[in-house]
Amino acid sequence: MLKNYFKIAWKVLLRRKFFTFISLFGISFTLMVLMVATSLFDHTFGPQMPERETDRILFVNQIREQVKEGYTNSGPASYSFFDRHVRTMKTPEKVSINSMPFQVNSYINNRKLAIDIKYTDREFWDILDFNFLEGNAYTQQDVKSANRVAVINQNTREQYFGKAEAIGKYIVVDQVKYKVVGVVENVPVLRVQSYADVWVPVSLKSQDFSKPGLRGTYFATIKAREASDIPEIKAEYAAMMQEVERQQPTKGSKLFSFPDTFLESFARTFLGQGQETGIGILYGILTVLILLFMLLPTINLVSINISRIMERSSEIGVRKAFGASSSTIIGQFIIENIFLTLLGGLLGLLLSAGVLWLINDSGMIVYANLGLNLRVFGIGMLLCLVFGLISGVYPAYKMSRLQAVEALKGGSK
Amino acid sequence: MIRHLFKLIWNRKKSNFLLITEIFFCFLVLFGVLSFIVYNVSNYTKPLGFKHENVWLLTMRPSTDSTAQNRQIVEQVIQRVRAFPQVEQASFTSSNAPFSFSRMNNDFSYGKIKRIESDVYEVQDEYKDVMQLQVSKGRWFSASDNASHHEPIVINKAFQQGLFGEEDPVGKVIHVNDTTTYQVVGVTDYFRAGSEYAAEFPAVFTRINLQKNPDKYENELLIRVKPGTGIDFEEKMVKEISGIGKEWTMEVATLEKMRQNKSKLTLVPMIALGLVCGFLILNVALGLFGVLWYNISRRNSEIGLRRALGAASGQIYRQFIGEVLVLATFGLIFGVLFAVQFPLLQVFDVESEVYFIALAGAVVLIYVLTTICALYPSRQAAAIHPAIALHED
Repeated sequence: MLKNYFKIAWKVLLRRKFFTFISLFGISFTLMVLMVATSLFDHTFGPQMPERETDRILFVNQIREQVKEGYTNSGPASYSFFDRHVRTMKTPEKVSINSMPFQVNSYINNRKLAIDIKYTDREFWDILDFNFLEGNAYTQQDVKSANRVAVINQNTREQYFGKAEAIGKYIVVDQVKYKVVGVVENVPVLRVQSYADVWVPVSLKSQDFSKPGLRGTYFATIKAREASDIPEIKAEYAAMMQEVERQQPTKGSKLFSFPDTFLESFARTFLGQGQETGIGILYGILTVLILLFMLLPTINLVSINISRIMERSSEIGVRKAFGASSSTIIGQFIIENIFLTLLGGLLGLLLSAGVLWLINDSGMIVYANLGLNLRVFGIGMLLCLVFGLISGVYPAYKMSRLQAVEALKGGSK
Repeated sequence: MIRHLFKLIWNRKKSNFLLITEIFFCFLVLFGVLSFIVYNVSNYTKPLGFKHENVWLLTMRPSTDSTAQNRQIVEQVIQRVRAFPQVEQASFTSSNAPFSFSRMNNDFSYGKIKRIESDVYEVQDEYKDVMQLQVSKGRWFSASDNASHHEPIVINKAFQQGLFGEEDPVGKVIHVNDTTTYQVVGVTDYFRAGSEYAAEFPAVFTRINLQKNPDKYENELLIRVKPGTGIDFEEKMVKEISGIGKEWTMEVATLEKMRQNKSKLTLVPMIALGLVCGFLILNVALGLFGVLWYNISRRNSEIGLRRALGAASGQIYRQFIGEVLVLATFGLIFGVLFAVQFPLLQVFDVESEVYFIALAGAVVLIYVLTTICALYPSRQAAAIHPAIALHED
């Protein structure tokens, strides 16, 4: 039976080529936009180099002080705060303290390079999975003795050394000479917590270690032993924060700082309030946007489908006269529709692969490496099915209710 | 005729319902995207109020916490920078230099407790020459203000209109807090430092008075260089001033580069939205075309009958175009009712003008689009020979 349906669907597709083209264009384009959006989302928040185990890693990138009603200041925290209160936490497996990226200049043979430099400890390399193309990260010993060594990314390597060997060579960044010990794959700029062009030992900024106060220029990256430890870490962090708040010299000042997954920290930055991350709101907004965006093509497809099915009213009439029930006919049309959307989906996949390649190629997003992985593909196919169902159900339902006699006469006027 | 057309559409409202909804949503999408584009373009065409070519921004990041020591170093740096023959002028600025990502603002009130929010730029006397500001009323501050009782400020037109309306602002005194009072000494027409696509926002320039506040220092420096000065001088300058501030980070950025970064932030979403919207509209147009074609081809017998009763082919043609336009009008009535709320409720604090231009543009576009979609099917219908049409049934 299914085989028959497919045969019929194929024949119908070929019958009115123009209509087929319109439907396929609509479906494939809509899916393409959704797939590119999904890929961007995945690229930003999904598990990717260098944060492969997203379910075990938490980030702290902000601390907010509320001194008196309404007056707040917020930003990255100080080294001493992390060193004293976060590094000493019991639940996490590892804690890394690293600075935010700073933009600095370096000059090579009359060209200027704007380079983002980040000061990190040794744990930073243990927690995150960077792809080392050459050499290795600096060691604990390097950090202890504040050696001037650097890990650089592929792009910086090309700018400085071209094709030549980089390991063991020296680069001058911001008037300071560093010895290159490792080269890693470019990290996309959207990965705020680990992105940089050059990474050097945090001990080179040892003047920051003793700075008092809670605000500074540092992030913390926390790794849990198990994904299930995450709530415990959050609880311990909250308890620690209460203790720190109690020790504040100014009475009545409130402190806010939370370890978040990357997606949570993003949501908190834009939508969060107090203890809430705002992640629910974020998902809500995204869902509404996707639905709104799919609405127009769906209505379009429904109206085209209705016209197409009208043409086949005599076919329906014959089938009904021979005793086919409404549900059989609905089933047939839905299957035909899903067949069509899947076809459109495949085209959409090809299109999105092209568009993603264009985005990567244009350098619109620094070091972007967008791709269609299996997950994005799966989501795309799921969207296809939903799309096919939505656009197929109504016309099929409308048609199946035709009386056999009416249908044989050529549809309802 | 028109009433007749409305009746025709109304009688078949059920089968036209989908087309009307489609046109309605299509209109909303167009209205939204056009509002965004019109807003940005209208801002872009307004003057910035300063010239950013050949201006560099030097950011100095201190390595110690000693304010006195840092203050000494930044003063040495600015003297050294001004001494270079390639440098025309240099001025300290607060962290909100033009096209930077930081903003500083404050609320001001005058007389009848009217509060306006305004950007505050702390700058030196030389800033006017560095950014080439035009003072249209009053004067820019100078060394003669060192001993003045009130802090001298220069404001922009938007600030003047927000706080003083049509009164002459020069000489007016604004109380900021218990210890500080500002006195307006000059007005500059425009100043939009955020980005080329930002709307005009109230701005206040306050004077950095190095003598008066020995424990305050700014670590950003705007430098106007002679045209044609390039990387080689930049490298030389950074080397020299790095010698003054040991262990400091000295970073130079050109305002042109910063402008590009800032404009990318608006341009990329605008282009992406435009593309998505364009494809959506194309998609709808194709669908509309298909459906109209099918609907008209099903009404052959009706057309044949009308032709047989003496209607000219031109009349048939006009009738079908008219029907489609009426259909679009139905969709647009609902759409406009919805869209008109935006300017009425002052959503997003955008000038109503922007919304009305977008609204008119969207209406015109929808009419053009539907007409184009209806042209070919209507021509087909008008070309039908009555005998053949009547013969079909």
